[in-house]
Amino acid sequence: MKNTLYLLLVIVAFFSCENDKKSTKDASTLKEINVYTHRHYESDQELFKAFEEESGIKVNVINASADELIQKMVLEGEQSPADVLITVDAGRLHRAKAKNLLQPITNSKIDSIVPSHLKDKENYWFGLTKRARVIVYAKDRVDPMELSSYENLVDEKWKNKIVVRSSSNIYNQSLMASIIANDGEDAAKMWAEALVNNMARSPKGNDRDQVKAVAGGEADLAIVNTYYIGKMLNSKDQAELDAAQSVEVFFPNQEDRGTHINVSGIGVAKYAPNQEAAIQFITYLLSEKSQKIFASSNYEYPVNPNVENAEVLKSWGSFKEDQLNLSKLGELNKKAVILFDEAGWK
Amino acid sequence: MNKILEIKNLSKSFDGGKAQAIDQVDFYVNQGDICAVVGESGSGKTTLIRLIAGLENPDQGKIIIKGKEVSSIKKVLVPEKRNIGMVFQEYALFPHLNVLENVMYGLAKRKDKKQRAEEVLALVGLKEYKERYAHELSGGQQQRVALARALAPEPSLLILDEPFSNLDAMMRTQLRNEIFNIIKKTGVTAIFVTHDTQDALAVADEILILQNGKLVQKDEASKLYHKPQSIYVASLFGNTVQLNKGLKNAFRCPLKEDCCHAIRNENISINVSDCEFVTTAKIIKRTFLGTHSQLLLKLDNGENLSVVTNEAVLGDELKIGFNSNDILAFDE
Amino acid sequence: MKQAGSKHINSLLESFFKLKRDINRWSFATLFILLIIAVPVFTIGIKLFDGPGQSWLHISDYLLPSYLKNSFYLAILCSIITILFGVSSAWLVTRYHFPFRKALEWLLIIPLAIPSYIVAYAYAGFFDYGGIYASFFEVFEIANAKLDIMNVFGLAFVLSISLFPYVYVSARAFFLNQAISLLEASRLLGVSERKSFVKLIIPLARPAVVAGLVLVLMEVLNDYGAAKYFGVNTFTTGIFRSWFSLEEPETAIYLSALLLILVFGLILIEKWQRRKIQYSSIKSANTKPNKKIILPKWQQFLICFTVLIPVVLGFFVPVWQLLIWAFKTFTQVLNPSLFWLSLQSFGIAFITAFFTVLFALVLLYFSKWNKITFIKNASKLGVLGYAIPGAVVAIGIMMPTLLIDKWLINQGLITQFLINGTLIALVYAYVVRFLAVAYQPLESSSLKVNNSIPDSSKILGMGNFKTFYKIEFPLIRAGMLSAFILVFIDTLKELPLTLILKPYHVNTLAVKAYEFASDEMVMQAAIPSLCIILTALIPVIFLNKLLLKNE
Repeated sequence: MKNTLYLLLVIVAFFSCENDKKSTKDASTLKEINVYTHRHYESDQELFKAFEEESGIKVNVINASADELIQKMVLEGEQSPADVLITVDAGRLHRAKAKNLLQPITNSKIDSIVPSHLKDKENYWFGLTKRARVIVYAKDRVDPMELSSYENLVDEKWKNKIVVRSSSNIYNQSLMASIIANDGEDAAKMWAEALVNNMARSPKGNDRDQVKAVAGGEADLAIVNTYYIGKMLNSKDQAELDAAQSVEVFFPNQEDRGTHINVSGIGVAKYAPNQEAAIQFITYLLSEKSQKIFASSNYEYPVNPNVENAEVLKSWGSFKEDQLNLSKLGELNKKAVILFDEAGWK
Repeated sequence: MNKILEIKNLSKSFDGGKAQAIDQVDFYVNQGDICAVVGESGSGKTTLIRLIAGLENPDQGKIIIKGKEVSSIKKVLVPEKRNIGMVFQEYALFPHLNVLENVMYGLAKRKDKKQRAEEVLALVGLKEYKERYAHELSGGQQQRVALARALAPEPSLLILDEPFSNLDAMMRTQLRNEIFNIIKKTGVTAIFVTHDTQDALAVADEILILQNGKLVQKDEASKLYHKPQSIYVASLFGNTVQLNKGLKNAFRCPLKEDCCHAIRNENISINVSDCEFVTTAKIIKRTFLGTHSQLLLKLDNGENLSVVTNEAVLGDELKIGFNSNDILAFDE
Repeated sequence: MKQAGSKHINSLLESFFKLKRDINRWSFATLFILLIIAVPVFTIGIKLFDGPGQSWLHISDYLLPSYLKNSFYLAILCSIITILFGVSSAWLVTRYHFPFRKALEWLLIIPLAIPSYIVAYAYAGFFDYGGIYASFFEVFEIANAKLDIMNVFGLAFVLSISLFPYVYVSARAFFLNQAISLLEASRLLGVSERKSFVKLIIPLARPAVVAGLVLVLMEVLNDYGAAKYFGVNTFTTGIFRSWFSLEEPETAIYLSALLLILVFGLILIEKWQRRKIQYSSIKSANTKPNKKIILPKWQQFLICFTVLIPVVLGFFVPVWQLLIWAFKTFTQVLNPSLFWLSLQSFGIAFITAFFTVLFALVLLYFSKWNKITFIKNASKLGVLGYAIPGAVVAIGIMMPTLLIDKWLINQGLITQFLINGTLIALVYAYVVRFLAVAYQPLESSSLKVNNSIPDSSKILGMGNFKTFYKIEFPLIRAGMLSAFILVFIDTLKELPLTLILKPYHVNTLAVKAYEFASDEMVMQAAIPSLCIILTALIPVIFLNKLLLKNE
């Protein structure tokens, strides 16, 4: 009996100290910022730590998928402790805005850094880094001259030659949204159906697995995000390195609208208790120093035009970006999912 | 006499009224009596004692122990406050406690608990086993420990649920006498449940017969045997032949047709002619059963009758008969 | 007419008296605890009345058939494989003597310690280009060998191999307690060992096996990580898709409700099975230690080898793969913070296991002490939380508790959330989710204690609590410990619920592993995964020690 009592005491102690440690909403007593983020890279953690040291503002991080974070903010309502929301695509930021979770921020410093197509028209959110969704092809089997655009992938000649991940992935959904925006709904649906027809296998795995499938000869082409190739090329795993080296990146639609890009972005929460700190945080992440870290450790394209790309990215050369305003990706996201289902893209 | 337990109009059903376990039972038990509750399995015996112990709540009626109402539809006194002792069919010794700890269990509030426990253990003759655990004891020893445990707190009423059903026939009689000698010695009022009428006849001052949850008869042993109130009660105490119309005709006995009559097997005489009612019969089949044998007979009017006898019967034909004062009559 | 009326009133009055008499504090306590547990379920249930979302037609047209098909295949395949592995190993371990038997006896539980999505990643890596499987074939100069396991069959294999211990544990408990004496009786009647096993033991073991299988199937139906990675669409991936991608919680709840009906059906089947055995089961457990059969040496090795198969597949292969990845990434991932992370995970799992076992005990015993049949039956509903996907439980908890938090803030009683964003909400959600995991071993071990034992204690003057403390607690300790450990391990592995409800400063190993994996850094996820396994091993070894001591 006595032991049980001690155990209870320990547990109560655990709980109470947990509550003590919990962030306070009174910004005056302790400077801090609560970050809801879908990015869980080590480099981000280091950036947050550097920000803490430089500004004296404590960074509290909640990591989860953007969908879950948005749901959480909706439920928390006015009492939400969230200051900023970071997602890995523009569509989710748009959704957060549509759900009235963000607030517009007018800050000249931010405006001067982020190009207009990479942020919300009404300044509800801003891109932090760019990633392009490109085609990779097997060097030994595909002549890049035969490649041209996403739309061209439905050609007969690629029958059973393409691998791509599942439609539940947000990068695919955004790509689809951009195709709907550019080509129209009917064309987009036909495109998806034809692409499913050309798939070498039913969608599975992640982007890296698609590259490995091409390297392994299961397919000739894969649709993947650029930074995964960057990461694979710098991998310690020989198999991944070999796989990445046996493929080449192709930027589609260079003749017309440009390659589909997406951003990982940030917005200030509508009920942010530490609004000032949030703005300070955003400008820090957009600064050349931070952007360099994004670029070099995560192989993303920085949004700050003054920062150079990582060496790997440079080797692929520059490319024409689709100038479609990224808010569109959010607006058309649901449509994209429905069309995927109708086309049978798992 | 002092009534220690009174049961008034007690009813209990299970499964939302679908299974009536106890149906309007009324009786009382006097101080110091040993009372047996007899019935087939499913007749409600166990439910009745669980109600008395407070392990079940009644649907209707009252239970009064020592003048105090312990169960009614308005309130039920919890088992731990009833001062009842109970020996369960499977003894229910606490497996993780030794014999002495088991017996001391109910004495938590007493200062002399160790002394008292040893006293009771001595009473049941298990003093030297006090360090043992249940699984190290024989069935009979376990039962005596269970009895000691129940008697230790000096209950006003002792309940035993099928106390001998787990014992083999050889030990049974011996242990039965031992147990009830102990109970008699303590002078405690006891109720015990059994499906075996031999147990009841041997030790009970009074016997209650339950059938389908109803109390059908409550009497002393000899009365119950000689004046059963129904064929059910009669047949609980040995083979009984119901005298139907065919049999009445065969024996030519002038009994009223609208009344139900029966005769005990042992009162049917074989190979005698000096009975009041006699008939001849043919043996169709004999079954040897050791001390006695069973005969399947065909009577002269074609009726079949099965009787048990310990007499040696020669030949295929015999005369059988019985006397009128052995006839049991019930109005049904 | 008038008389009939007053009779009616009398009987009403009588029922009222009886209700007043029978309702005790345990009834209220049971109802209260049930309410706490049921709140998230009700919250979700109420949403059902909003009707399905607009996408329901879309889902039922395009997706539902494949959800049903895949979930059905998974359920069937996983049942077959887990029974095959679980029952055979349980039987061999209890019946035969062979080398390393003692070690294997608990190694067979170990696969539970690895989250099934990690097993999925490990196996995908194992069979991938350049993986262990391929390098094995390279020795024979077969290049680019690849076994594609990323399909519904592969998923069934991966889930089965990480979940079969549930069947093993309950089958083994049955074999240990009852089967051997039955088998001996059957052998004495001249029936061969093999025939006795098939004709007698298998049918009798069915309820125990089904009990384990129900846990397996609930886990299978709830799996998200592995199914998503393998590209197999199931009910749970569908719930996430409609909730988040289609932005229709209503539709997700409809799917959850369908899933709930499926799981409810499973529970009913299990209950029905167990009811049947109650009538036929032999009375008390046979406590004498059973003697193991000693076979010739080569047969012993054969048995050892057979028992090793599920251990190797469920534990050593994935751990081997994880170790290879860990070796490649340790410079990047290994740092002191991992130790703190392990400690936090341990603490959270410990607290959760403590409270879950406590709640399960309270529910089990309070409902027993309560005299109202309706409440007794209702208490069984407390285990439903296990059937609901973690993410849905999380939302179901957030909605009502936020109301309380906001009300408290508006009243000026607190300045910050008391429940949400603290351990309270997290542990609460875990308890709701894992109550069934604790309830099952507790219930079966309390069923083994004959009712007359606590009844005796009560008649001897002890109240309910004292009886529990002095009699039942020591007798069901083994069941409590296994309940504790199962919840502990499940909490360590839990993901979707943790992601949504965890406080800022708290992080768990599972979350860390997931973060890496979801960023396509599967290799980096290896070290936190290994930490999960190590942390889970602590109580497993502890339990084994305790059980051995008791023997």
